[in-house]
Amino acid sequence: MSSPLVLLPGDEIPSEYLPSTNSAPLRLGPGLRLLSQPPSSSAPSHVLTATQAGILSTDNKKNAVSILSAPNRRYIPTVNDLVIAQVHHSSPDYFHCMVTPQAPHVVLGQLAFEGATKKTRPMLKQGDLVYARVLSVGLGAGAEVELTCVNPATGKAEPGGLGHLTGGMVFDISNGMAARLMRASSSSADQQDGVAGLVVLDELGKKLEKVGGFEIAVGRNGKVWVDCSNGGDAAVKATVAIGRCLTTVDQHDLSPADQKKLVSRILREMKIEV
Amino acid sequence: MNKEAPLSIAERDFILNALREDVRLDGRAADQLRPLTVSFGEEYGHVKVQLGRTSLIVRISAEVTKPHDDRPFDGLFTIAMELTAMGSPAWDNGRQGDLETYVTNVLDRVVRHSNALDTESLCIVKGVSCWSIRADVHITDYDGNLIDAACAGIMAGLQHFRRQDAVVKEGQVIVYGLDERVPVALNITHKPLSVTFHTFDEGKKVIIDATRKEEQASEADVVIGLNNAGDVCFMSKFSGSPVDAMVFVDKTSVALEKVKEINAIIDKALQADLAKRAKSGMLEMSRAENDRELEQ
Repeated sequence: MSSPLVLLPGDEIPSEYLPSTNSAPLRLGPGLRLLSQPPSSSAPSHVLTATQAGILSTDNKKNAVSILSAPNRRYIPTVNDLVIAQVHHSSPDYFHCMVTPQAPHVVLGQLAFEGATKKTRPMLKQGDLVYARVLSVGLGAGAEVELTCVNPATGKAEPGGLGHLTGGMVFDISNGMAARLMRASSSSADQQDGVAGLVVLDELGKKLEKVGGFEIAVGRNGKVWVDCSNGGDAAVKATVAIGRCLTTVDQHDLSPADQKKLVSRILREMKIEV
Repeated sequence: MNKEAPLSIAERDFILNALREDVRLDGRAADQLRPLTVSFGEEYGHVKVQLGRTSLIVRISAEVTKPHDDRPFDGLFTIAMELTAMGSPAWDNGRQGDLETYVTNVLDRVVRHSNALDTESLCIVKGVSCWSIRADVHITDYDGNLIDAACAGIMAGLQHFRRQDAVVKEGQVIVYGLDERVPVALNITHKPLSVTFHTFDEGKKVIIDATRKEEQASEADVVIGLNNAGDVCFMSKFSGSPVDAMVFVDKTSVALEKVKEINAIIDKALQADLAKRAKSGMLEMSRAENDRELEQ
């Protein structure tokens, strides 16, 4: 592919930018919408338009296309996004959760958890955190966004880790940073330098191995949940250090080398032995 | 929805547990300020304050009005602050929340009631005309500790502001433009600033300059207003759980240290701005000469 394509909301995506392999169905990521689909007999000419401004990113291996969002703060739910939601109140059928503060609540079914039945469903209180997937966003104004913690087809928490988040700490990052972290974690093994120039998590993982490692959950709504409960005495410090590293990388555009330096500096400042 | 989103249980517990180990979320010590920058705009009395991620703009303005009937020798000084949706999505335009009332009240007490600005010097003709000084505070981003940031902004603005010169000639008040006569600095009697403390863990942990999350997780807040000389001009314990009296005594000395630190930052910024103005004034003049040469 040639130069990166910058799109504005409403722009059509030229077909030469779409992945060419036609075996698998095309997967649309956040910020894109399918306007019309021609009858299957004619040549594949999907009309895709952008709903957000950003750079087009295509993944030939997964046959996926999405928009790289800028580091903005406003989160617009898109189906299949992983988000960290905070329970606001519960009603007989649903937990009403906050994904973005000052935005209408989203709903999460009381039984939308792995292995949940009427008797074994989790009792979530106000202020509890859940890691969930966006199931549907609805159409038009006033439509409710629904979350789920299971894959409805298999009844399992897929990908792993969906459900109630206990302990730990949540740090606020920009949406763009959250997207970068997601991409870095989904395909880090095959690239040495990290995806999108993000090595901060790998570096932290290496350095904090001795402290007992850490758990992390990234929500596309600009939240990161970090827990180092195995860390013993250094648990709190390690958690704070991870949060500081992530927010600093988010605020300053750091190169991979600078990110490594930052990690060492913050760990030294927090007096964590590595 | 004009309410700040509540913290989750995990965040609240973590902040408290971390403070018990003397760790803050941004790695600061308990009595350490976030980086504070004060900068000035093109016009006199236009201040930008950035305290961590809290940022605000203060504009000082002056106009000639009639003094109050009961105080014919005094000028007027008002502080206007409105929390608009520009600062935080939790605030609504035109609707006054608790935070706004509280912050406005504290600023009024610390700056106005402590007579930081000598209002008598604003009198032009007794009972007929005087200067009315107005400080407008606009919040552009909110991450906790509005009071201290706004206080620093207003005090910097008052020191930076220059009002037009006014003289009385044969019973007539003549106001000269900024380019006609050298504008006059305001008469500042002292430089009070506020320092806000937040208490945690039944008053055992006390921190200054809390971020938004720390503010939400705290039990109570204590505001101490004092000047460089250590004269306490304001002290409040507005709401929340009780605080030990010793906290007030202990923290007053910490507050004094911080007030000196903030005042030093303001002074430095003022000096730098003054030097810049002196320089650009010269440049302006040399440029005018060149213009004239071109015309000929």
